[in-house]
Amino acid sequence: MPALLQAARLWGAANAGLLWAGRWLAVGCLGLMVVIILVQVVARYVLNNALPWPDEAARFFMLWMTGLMAPTALRRGGFVAIDMLVLMLPRVVASVLMLGLLAVSGMVLVVAAQLGWAEVTGFGGSFKTASLMTFFTIDFADGVPFVRVDWGWQPMPRSHMMASLMVGVWLMLTVTGELMLRQIITMMGHGDALTDIPENATVGAE
Amino acid sequence: MLIWFLPLFLVFLMIGLPVFFGLLAAPGLLLWLNGQERDIALLYRNVYNGMDSFPLMAIPFFMLAGEMMNRGGITMRLVEFSQACVGHFRAGLAQVNILSSMLFAGLSGSAVADTSALGSMLIPAMKKEGYTVKFAAAVTAASSVIGPIIPPSGIMIIYAYVMGESVAALFLAGIVPGVLVGIGLMTVTNIIARRLDDFPALRRRATWPEKGQASLKAFFPLLTPVIILGGILGGVFTPTEASAVAVAYALFVSLFLLRSMGLRDVPDVLMKAAITSAVVLLLVGAAMAFKTVVSLSHAPETLAAFILSLSDNPLVLLLLINLLLFIVGMFLDAGPAIIILGPILGPIFVDLGVDPVHFAIIMSVNLTVGLATPPMGLVLFVASSVSGERVETIARAILPFLAVEIFVIGLITYIPAISLFVPTYFGFIMP
Amino acid sequence: QTITLRATANSNENDEDYDGLVVFKNYVEAASNGAIEVELFIGTQLCGNGAECLAGVADGTIDIYISTSGGASGIFPYVQVLDLPYLMADDRVAEAVLDNDSALVNWMQDRVLEDSQGSIRLMTIGNTGGWRNFANTQRRVAEPADMDGLKIRTVVADLPQELVRALGASPTPIPWPELFTSFQTGVVEGSKNGITDIMGMKFPDAGLQYVTLDGHAYMGALWFMNNQRFAEMDMGLRRVVVDGFYALQQATFASPKRKSIAAYQEFVAGGGDLYVPTPDQKAAFAGAAGPVFEWFEKNVDGGSEVLAAMREAVATAEADIARAYEDDLN
Ligand code: NA
Ligand code: NA
Repeated sequence: MPALLQAARLWGAANAGLLWAGRWLAVGCLGLMVVIILVQVVARYVLNNALPWPDEAARFFMLWMTGLMAPTALRRGGFVAIDMLVLMLPRVVASVLMLGLLAVSGMVLVVAAQLGWAEVTGFGGSFKTASLMTFFTIDFADGVPFVRVDWGWQPMPRSHMMASLMVGVWLMLTVTGELMLRQIITMMGHGDALTDIPENATVGAE
Repeated sequence: MLIWFLPLFLVFLMIGLPVFFGLLAAPGLLLWLNGQERDIALLYRNVYNGMDSFPLMAIPFFMLAGEMMNRGGITMRLVEFSQACVGHFRAGLAQVNILSSMLFAGLSGSAVADTSALGSMLIPAMKKEGYTVKFAAAVTAASSVIGPIIPPSGIMIIYAYVMGESVAALFLAGIVPGVLVGIGLMTVTNIIARRLDDFPALRRRATWPEKGQASLKAFFPLLTPVIILGGILGGVFTPTEASAVAVAYALFVSLFLLRSMGLRDVPDVLMKAAITSAVVLLLVGAAMAFKTVVSLSHAPETLAAFILSLSDNPLVLLLLINLLLFIVGMFLDAGPAIIILGPILGPIFVDLGVDPVHFAIIMSVNLTVGLATPPMGLVLFVASSVSGERVETIARAILPFLAVEIFVIGLITYIPAISLFVPTYFGFIMP
Repeated sequence: QTITLRATANSNENDEDYDGLVVFKNYVEAASNGAIEVELFIGTQLCGNGAECLAGVADGTIDIYISTSGGASGIFPYVQVLDLPYLMADDRVAEAVLDNDSALVNWMQDRVLEDSQGSIRLMTIGNTGGWRNFANTQRRVAEPADMDGLKIRTVVADLPQELVRALGASPTPIPWPELFTSFQTGVVEGSKNGITDIMGMKFPDAGLQYVTLDGHAYMGALWFMNNQRFAEMDMGLRRVVVDGFYALQQATFASPKRKSIAAYQEFVAGGGDLYVPTPDQKAAFAGAAGPVFEWFEKNVDGGSEVLAAMREAVATAEADIARAYEDDLN
């Protein structure tokens, strides 16, 4: 048991650190989105000279905001679910069910993590964006860890936008792993020894 | 085989799998069992592409604007303004709650935001004045569905996105229905307060100076909807850009005019809005992926043929559809429901001569009301966590309010002018 | 065993693409004696944009897909040669240039197969919506000077923006679903579309009342197919599929001509101003558009080669047509 607890502690610390960085990047993304759209309004309405890139650039940041922030929402229990059954069942049965639900989520994420990599490194990722330029591109085709970085201004490949969901899925996968471990520890009756994950106010969609 | 995607999805949902994973696990599992592993790539690809849309960007922006208004004390000013207007009515604080929701709706596009912002302020206040907690929570939840009916509206942005309708036309079409829901709720509240006598005593009427001061304090916040709609109608910006302008305006008002927020609060506000938006966008993507498997199974054609076989009278069909939507709304969030069902149902009714904007409003309002119905009513959950009252208790207390909302859905369904008058007046629909 | 081909078009059932698919399905299913079945998915049911759909064609989750030049330009940039203004004089020339054995189409077919690492075949190029014309809410545009300062909606792509800029107007990217409102409120003042799209979206109701029939670009429809799916078939079935695409192409050539009659009538009946530029005015447009060609050759990968192939195909087509006139007129 101490080994399991130690594992949960380390895993939790690693996730907390990763997600902390993700959150702050996501905050930057959202701020940039607002600025980019306002720049476009001014350019078109005031200067009568619409810019070609804000549409795609703002979408780029929106996708990254989502990919980097969703894992935090998942870890804090912010994904919408009906928990009536879990609340109704006896405690032992409920925790088995919860472990099963986490396993289903984990399976979805395992498949998605592989598909994400295939998509980013595949044909769809090699499309060029219409209006975004970047001063370096990451060539995923060589495979991790031999990702090649090409320096120099060039049109951004779509893979750089598509990587947002892939990274999000990877992070959600490690979060789900941590949650499963915590659930197992709780089932074995040592839930009190776990460090709490900070709760988030209910995250609502609409 | 594939046709089992819906029952399987519901099973996953009922046993407590998060909607996002249910939307992917059910069709993914069936594709796998069906030997169509390759098509699972279509699912993943549609999650990504479902989110990769410029018009959807209005959702995080309106979320952010709403969050800023809360932080900047703007919500409180709206409540004070409502108090000056209707505080002296029978069941005054309940009426204040409803009117505040209508005003808040003009700034925010989310019922959940409405429930948590107004609920955390008004439920304790109502409790202190002698209302039962379940009544206070029920009023809060019932009136918060006005949030996405009066523009701006996240639900209507999603509808416009999947159906290719004009966001501006849907926004304009929601104004009168939203006000009607508000008036209906205020009437029911009044009736309840007359029939039961354990309601708190009447409060005194606000004096004219008090009214003037409250109006002055609420002036800049209340200008937000005027700027949003005025800017869109005046050709200054598109609806998506309007949402970013709303953020800038909210920031300006809170930081400089009201000075109710400091620069150091900004990151936290961004953080909250980003978390909520990420969940919504992922859900939109997953629903788009789910829809792909719905198409592969040819369920849309089957369902459309079935619906048309029931009757060829649009009035009868509209009644049946409202029933269907209401039941769907009990289990599914409005956003995913619109993404999955909109493309199936919309064309049927447009072919039968129902105006697309009118149908959009019927569907949006019905599914929005579904946010306040058990077992899967998002705002019920939020009202429960804000008030500490059990979901089932609130669900029972909300019944009279739901009844009036269903009545308004009926009005909207059978009197197209309620939805179409305003957009027609502004030339978005040709008479 | 039946081969099921999954075909998708992002438009709707009123579109030329659908007409083409119906002809294709009917021909292929009949001519293959039921060996091939064609399943149609119209709209964005399976995928929503060029990049997503072509990724599906590449990995075989989608067998057949019709893309506009804009949708495919992210991976096959040279297909934008179809958007270069005033290269082809009329339908007769365009239909000859897009013949499956023309210098242009042969060049593009080779390059598409090569650039997709052998996963995607360009089966044929048809039409979707006739010709692109300039339309606006403000005034009659008779010559390039009339374009001055107009805010013209374009997609997010370089070439159409270069063209609009070359003509002195201001290119403005607006998402298609927001376009109606944007005309109405004045966020933009014009666009470059075919008449059937203009009428289908009811743009005249939003004030788009001036159309100039400058015909600056032929709205080519690129029909792609998963190569492995094609290669798996025996020669007889391949031939059926290729003939099916020929029938499809001919249907999409014909369909806009028929559909545009009602669209133009409806436009004029609604008070719309339809202007046909004189040959001199059209030459002035072509002259003003000159910088776009330089831009294309310099910036588009494979640009000068594809332009040379295009010019060769046009010259051949014009010579053939001149010979036919010689024969028919005398
Ligand atoms: Na609203
Ligand atoms: Na309320």
